[in-house]
Amino acid sequence: MSFENPSTGALKADHISKAFGGLKVFNDVSFTLQPGGLLGVIGPNGAGKTTMINIISGRLRLSSGEVTLGGTRVDGRPVYENTSRGLVRSFQQTATFHGYTIEDNLLSALRFSKSDLSILERLMPLLDQFGLKANWGRNAEILPYGLQKMLGLTMALAARPKMLLLDEPAAGLEKSERDNIDTYVRFAREEFGCGVLLVEHDMELIKRLCPSIIVLDGGRLIAEGAPAEVLSYPHVINAYLGGADENEEDADAQHS
Amino acid sequence: MEGFITTGLIGISLGSQYTLLALGFTLIFGILGVVNFAHGGFYVMGGYVAYYCTSTLGMPYAVAVLVALAATAILGWLFEAIVLERVIDDHQATLMVTMGFYLVMATTILMIFGAESPQFSFPVSGVWRMGGVYFPYANMIVLAACLVAIALVYWLVYRTNIGRGMRAMAEDRAVASALGMRTKALFPFAFALATGLAGVTGALVTPILSLAPHVGDATLAYSFLTVILGGLGSVSGATVAAFIVGLIEAYAAVYLGGSKGALTLFALVMVILVVRPRGLFGREVRRS
Repeated sequence: MSFENPSTGALKADHISKAFGGLKVFNDVSFTLQPGGLLGVIGPNGAGKTTMINIISGRLRLSSGEVTLGGTRVDGRPVYENTSRGLVRSFQQTATFHGYTIEDNLLSALRFSKSDLSILERLMPLLDQFGLKANWGRNAEILPYGLQKMLGLTMALAARPKMLLLDEPAAGLEKSERDNIDTYVRFAREEFGCGVLLVEHDMELIKRLCPSIIVLDGGRLIAEGAPAEVLSYPHVINAYLGGADENEEDADAQHS
Repeated sequence: MEGFITTGLIGISLGSQYTLLALGFTLIFGILGVVNFAHGGFYVMGGYVAYYCTSTLGMPYAVAVLVALAATAILGWLFEAIVLERVIDDHQATLMVTMGFYLVMATTILMIFGAESPQFSFPVSGVWRMGGVYFPYANMIVLAACLVAIALVYWLVYRTNIGRGMRAMAEDRAVASALGMRTKALFPFAFALATGLAGVTGALVTPILSLAPHVGDATLAYSFLTVILGGLGSVSGATVAAFIVGLIEAYAAVYLGGSKGALTLFALVMVILVVRPRGLFGREVRRS
């Protein structure tokens, strides 16, 4: 699948493998995310999902294979460089700067990504809807977890992504707050026209949003296709019921 | 009562010195993720540069302090950009490299100036007194200079864009980087700022305390202690902790005598760390 027409702006993982010492975190995984597309990534804990985001964003080096964005190699490049290329990631945990107000957090995000204030204007409807505008001058760390998380995600949009890598955006959110993720993903695609790689555990969310998904288990790509279909495959169901080591995913999800 | 106030003034002036040292140390840790074992070396170097400028070159003391600031900041910049940068992602290597650099600095000073303490005394003598309260003019000037320097650091860190960048990096480097910040661009600047602070402290303080090639050891120990007490990487924590350390040291030295001051300090820090392992202002790591 790696020799299709070179579509500009597509994110391609080409036979990527990553091993920590002797431990293979994933092995020979390939997929393509078209510009403006939406691809869900699911898999049990420890399947290598966060590691994959760390690799695509440039934080970790590949053992073999390559990841390209519009034909330009992005794996192994500095994270800030990939961000300026339009490849922006979010974090599983809250990703805000403590001691900064909501406003300062957003202004910092604009400054670091060299975006101007017009981006903030474009984000306003989202900020309003999430209730962040109502808390404009309050410090990020005293906000409820759900709000902190939405702030971190909105800050990622301030970096003007072309491809957005979302690492379990709904993790830690209350059921009632999860609609925010739908709104967020829709907004990102409509307002910024960006492609979204959505790593998520919430199957309902995946089914609602993603036209197609890939399933990782034990570092291998075991299925791909439409969610309803893929989730009915016996070996996918097995992978979920089989259970995996939870600590592994938690350990590589750490970023601070 | 007068003795109590006098001791308090000494404690505050010690606290202001420790603040400058600790701010530099904590900035380097917070921003670069490096424990700078050469920190004491820059303090000693600042002292010797100021000494050389006044005694050999005949400069006024105030100018000598500025030269010491510039020299230590420039050396810090070069050391970070040329040496430390190459191993910055390897924690053990940064420990070895900074420690090695400290040994090089201390030995170089030893070779040039000899092992004995030079005659380096503060240009202003005399003691201000009110009733039974005594405070040497030298300490007063050093205190004022330190407070000005602390204010400048706070202004830089909290009121300028470069400071906001440094704080964001100290808060969460991965997030700052994911938002597009070229994190390493600020490393030499932050390192130079920190070593310059150590150097200027050395230039201000060694004429009052003592100047010898090895005084960097104790400086490093106190910087480390203060920063751990305040919470690694925390700017406000380092400031508060520095004044606590200064006051405890002063009162314990007067009322308990001699080495019991240091003993009290280390015992207290041990207790605080048992109760609050992240230090007084250390940030809890939040998890989902």
